[in-house]
Amino acid sequence: MTYMTDLVSSRELLANLTAREVKGKYRRTVFGQLWSLINPLATMLIYTIVYSFIFKARLEVGDPSGLHFYPLWLMCGLLPWIFFRSVLNAGMSSIVANGSLIKKVYFPRMNLPLATVGAHGFTWMIEMAFLVVVLACFGSFIWPWIPVVAFFMVMLAAFATGLALMLAIVNVHFRDMQHLIGIALQMWMYLTPIIYPLTLVQNAADKANKPWILHLYKLNPMERFSTVFRNLMYDNRWPHWSDSLACILLAAVSLALGYFVFSRNEKKLAELL
Amino acid sequence: MSNVAVSVDHVSKSFRMYSERNDSLKSTVMRRKKSVHEDFWALKDISFEVPQGKTFGLIGRNGSGKSTLLKCLAKILWPESGSITANGKQASLLEVGSGFHPELTGRENVFLNGSILGMTRKEVTRKFDEIVSFSGVGHFIDQPVKNYSSGMYVRLGFSVAIAVTPDILVVDEVLSVGDATFQKRCRTKFAEMKGEGRTVILVSHSMNTVKEMCDEVAWLDSGELQTIGPAQEVIDAYQLTV
Repeated sequence: MTYMTDLVSSRELLANLTAREVKGKYRRTVFGQLWSLINPLATMLIYTIVYSFIFKARLEVGDPSGLHFYPLWLMCGLLPWIFFRSVLNAGMSSIVANGSLIKKVYFPRMNLPLATVGAHGFTWMIEMAFLVVVLACFGSFIWPWIPVVAFFMVMLAAFATGLALMLAIVNVHFRDMQHLIGIALQMWMYLTPIIYPLTLVQNAADKANKPWILHLYKLNPMERFSTVFRNLMYDNRWPHWSDSLACILLAAVSLALGYFVFSRNEKKLAELL
Repeated sequence: MSNVAVSVDHVSKSFRMYSERNDSLKSTVMRRKKSVHEDFWALKDISFEVPQGKTFGLIGRNGSGKSTLLKCLAKILWPESGSITANGKQASLLEVGSGFHPELTGRENVFLNGSILGMTRKEVTRKFDEIVSFSGVGHFIDQPVKNYSSGMYVRLGFSVAIAVTPDILVVDEVLSVGDATFQKRCRTKFAEMKGEGRTVILVSHSMNTVKEMCDEVAWLDSGELQTIGPAQEVIDAYQLTV
């Protein structure tokens, strides 16, 4: 575990690298950090218009919260997804993007992908805080659920970090991974109940009398996460124990695997870049 | 002989020279073959010891393996065989200003770069004035570094690196940065470090620099250690072959 102690002793570097990402991102822009709120708001507007007004997607009623508003329902699933996608994209390219640094200075390289998680996590926290306030304004009794939401935010961050660590290594060997993942993430989003409810898939499976479709569909890890976040934030109830457990296990396995793969390959990075 | 600061023990380093390489998924899938490569040994079984408190120089022609050895010492590359042991805190200065973010101010970059080089925030805060005055950047410190002149940029980078005050400093050809005044200041600083018993390992092509600064010199040629010994002797021997 010497690598771990190395990593822990460089936590100040991690904080500084995270600050670099956060501060550098919106420098020289008029709205600055506000952009991190404007972006999801714009996405929300687009999906609301397309799916709520044009496609007339069926509206989910929060149980027991009684919420009945598509944009809020959407955001409870969309914000975690946007975070997940950003971490995967930024984390996997962090090693290649910082090649000049890796070739010149020694420090535990894991700090680079971790810093992108920190930076995007920071943005996500602001977005979620904002969403909590709006949810409360619309009558969701969200306050007691905040610690649970925070816990699952950490779980999703761990899940995304593990994947990003593995992808960062793969991306050094095969640079086309970045483009492939871009496409895969797009498909992944539509395979996850983010802009449409899970009941839609359930009904379709029932109608066709093919229950395996639903089982297959539910293998998607992000389905679990978006269900949990919706349960907590939109419905205000405990998620099903199997969903919660799946999230925790996914997070643990992904993080452990990512850590293992990354620390095993770290020494070769400078040469490969 | 005093204590050993760094001991290099039978270090060999090879690079793969690919004649056919699978660096995209397409080529891996389409060719269904392993990459074809030849090993190029950049360092062959190098062993030596750097005594503590001395300034140690590495010389040799282009491509002789000096920089590879330096990168191994700086823990950027890992040798295939052999080991390098350093006694004490080590810092390396292979390029100045690496890790500077162009949009951030000089002040923010000093803290960022300081932590990349292994300093704590407290240390940087304590040494901040010293760093700024050494760099001679003056009131530009609160400007984004992208607006700096190239001289200011490297001077600031160098000043941060020099403030790390490691027990062992590994330096690549970076002493030629800045104008004459700055270079003079650097030389004074290096003399000061030596006085404090710190070890410096440096690579340079300028024989005058090496002669002036180094106590001991190792001469590398095509990855092999030719001679090692007092600066003057080794430099004379090397210059005969040029």
